[in-house]
Amino acid sequence: MTVFRILLVLACCICLAGIVRRFSRRHKETAFAPAGHNHEKSSPSGRSFATALADILLLRRTARTSMYRWVMHTLILIGFTGLLVFHALDDIIGYPFIPGYESTLDPWQWLRNLFGGMALAGIVLAAARRMGNARLKTFSRRQDWLLLAVIGGIMISGFLLEASKIISPNVFNRMTESYFLPEDENDIPALQAFWSAHNGVIFTPPASTDATLIAKGEELSANNCNYCHSPTASAFLSRALATAIGPAAPALNAANADLGLWYLHIVLAFAALALMPYGKFLHPVATPVNLAVRGGSHSARPPLETTAARKVGLEACTRCGECSLHCSVAPAFAAIGNADILPSEKLVSLRGYATGTLSEHETDAFAEGSRICTECLRCTQICPSGINLQDLWLSSKKSLKHRELDGPNTTIRQCNAMQWAEVLSAQGKSRFEQIKGDGLADRAESFWGCVQCTTCTSVCPVVAVSEAPAKDLDLTPQQIMNLLRMGLKDQTLAARMVWSCTTCYKCQEHCPQNIQVADILFELRQIATERMKERKLTACPLPAATSGRFSAAPLPPETKKPEGGKA
Amino acid sequence: MRYAYFSGCKIPHHLPEYGASVQALCSALGITLVPMEFSCCGWPIRHENPVASAYSAVRNFALAEREGLSILTPCKCCFGNLKHAQAKMQQDARLAAEVGNLLGKEGMRLPGKIDVHHLLTVLDRDVGAKMLGELVRSPLSGVKVACHYGCHALRPGNVTEFDDPLAPTVFERILSATGAEMVHWDLRLECCGHPLRGRDDTISNALMRKKLENARDAGADILATGCTYCQMQFDQERHRIHETGDGTKKPTAVLFTRLLEAALGLAPRPF
Repeated sequence: MTVFRILLVLACCICLAGIVRRFSRRHKETAFAPAGHNHEKSSPSGRSFATALADILLLRRTARTSMYRWVMHTLILIGFTGLLVFHALDDIIGYPFIPGYESTLDPWQWLRNLFGGMALAGIVLAAARRMGNARLKTFSRRQDWLLLAVIGGIMISGFLLEASKIISPNVFNRMTESYFLPEDENDIPALQAFWSAHNGVIFTPPASTDATLIAKGEELSANNCNYCHSPTASAFLSRALATAIGPAAPALNAANADLGLWYLHIVLAFAALALMPYGKFLHPVATPVNLAVRGGSHSARPPLETTAARKVGLEACTRCGECSLHCSVAPAFAAIGNADILPSEKLVSLRGYATGTLSEHETDAFAEGSRICTECLRCTQICPSGINLQDLWLSSKKSLKHRELDGPNTTIRQCNAMQWAEVLSAQGKSRFEQIKGDGLADRAESFWGCVQCTTCTSVCPVVAVSEAPAKDLDLTPQQIMNLLRMGLKDQTLAARMVWSCTTCYKCQEHCPQNIQVADILFELRQIATERMKERKLTACPLPAATSGRFSAAPLPPETKKPEGGKA
Repeated sequence: MRYAYFSGCKIPHHLPEYGASVQALCSALGITLVPMEFSCCGWPIRHENPVASAYSAVRNFALAEREGLSILTPCKCCFGNLKHAQAKMQQDARLAAEVGNLLGKEGMRLPGKIDVHHLLTVLDRDVGAKMLGELVRSPLSGVKVACHYGCHALRPGNVTEFDDPLAPTVFERILSATGAEMVHWDLRLECCGHPLRGRDDTISNALMRKKLENARDAGADILATGCTYCQMQFDQERHRIHETGDGTKKPTAVLFTRLLEAALGLAPRPF
């Protein structure tokens, strides 16, 4: 038993260290900005103890989106909890508190098989789900498979252990030596005959099948064994397994397989204990806490206000992937391939962003995923763990914006149009442009009809609110068309007119020559974005010019303070 | 009258009152809105990636086709982008092939032509202003309403086919049924400024201010919107322009469905 003790202490130490490490991880203060939707009326949050309990114990939130997942997770929850209480902790709960408790007596022996069978069935369903769904499979990470492997391994090794003990004459001998005093020389063979015939022990050479001897053995068993042992038939799964491995019994018995399996079983169980504070192994603790905190809310309310509340949310993810399977912008992920577009993956990066451990490249991916999110609330409504994802996204997006990490629209305004023209033309066309071939802006025929009549400029509402368009906007729409006509596309890519086009399509609607002015401006933004992305330009590489930086453009007098509180 | 209901991404969190109002109005008028798990219309990502934008939109058509339904949306930006993607699929074979390939990976195929409607069009065509007028219980007499059209439904007219892009009438026709007085104002077809929100707040604010002042000068009490983004701009973002005056903030931005609800006696006046 010393090995057991050593392993237990070791597992506890690793577990404790992990807990300390996980909860001492500090969030950078800049990682979250207050969500600040103060215009919203606060609605009743529906906080209630009963709701939280239904969410935690009955997994009600899981049932709403997928019955398959509900069945799967309910099997694991009941099975695993049952084993934990009535088997793993029997020194603490079973023996002291249940009169006459013995692990090999019914109903405990039977229950252990039932719970183990439920948990294993759930694990199989979970693995099949991850294998069967193409998208889920692509973003399943090592920890997802590890958790299934460890828990599944505990169940399988447990059943194998029990089965190997059922068939083992060594175990039989150990028991009779410790607890049985034979009165005559036939007692042991009689007991062997009965246990072989009725309880599945496989002796080499085989025990006698003589009916009178078995009857004697039954009597001896009733007087000496039954107070501690129910028939092994009630361990219905292990007994079936024992029958199945019967042909290999002599070899297994000779190799003391039960001892090896015992080590495997406890090593896996202690591994689960040691890993508990790491990754999704923590979810059996963090998720119920989060569900209790959220009190059954399916919206972004109540908003998260404290770092502690955010931390609980960040830790509560079970990586079930439901949010990503239903995400509104999942098609963008399919087209672009950045996993951070999907909420379950973005949450992993957000943890890194919050603790300041993302590399520059990872930060870009996280920023792109955050930017593409449309804040549609669906992930928050769906999340079976009740994580207030919406609030996490809203506040981290604000933080990204504040740090000027929110994408091309911000980056392009860090230098002036001339500087960017130099930078963006330096390496010619992007791969994307080359593959796609000539677009509207490249084709001379797009502008053949342009007579430079300036209609596009005169109907443009953006030009109209500027006092000095040439200065504020770099170029007017008609000037952009003229440059494109002359093949000077790169000179237009960063013009403020291009980036501050409000996409109202008046220019295009009013053009007497049917030139697709607004569509061309869209294309210019797409081209500049592609070039910046391909060349990893997430900040202006040139020293920002003191004049001509977009945001420094003169404002119409009455709008000098764009930010501020409510009027 | 059954439609696949395309609420758009912003309604659930940012403008739930629009969703509630659309549902209530449609159920009162016998228009069945079939809820479907659509993805984003592709509008927000159109600035940076044309394939992602088109695929987002077309995937929704494939879903609607499966149910054999036309799409109805109360958002003009969603409407505009869905129509835009439809036109693109016709014009750009290369893009269509790329989108078809992405659909194939999800076990779907390029859909045929799916009808996309804005709620205003459905009210006009399926119910009609005359019928609406007959259903009015508490007319909004004396209320002066300026209809704000919303760019992305209106233009480019050859793509959206919403109404006459230079002289549209559908918005006024529907709201006239409430008994309110329609105001003529110069900037009714101009942009609200929301597309620049977060991209260029200075210009976004300037555009909003200009429109509100023009509607106010024309005597409007109410600025009626029929688009999620326009309403967010004129209501939630309005504090940014620091209006001075008596604090009544005229004209108030009100979703057109809420005006109809009030006139039909389904809800109290929202202003």
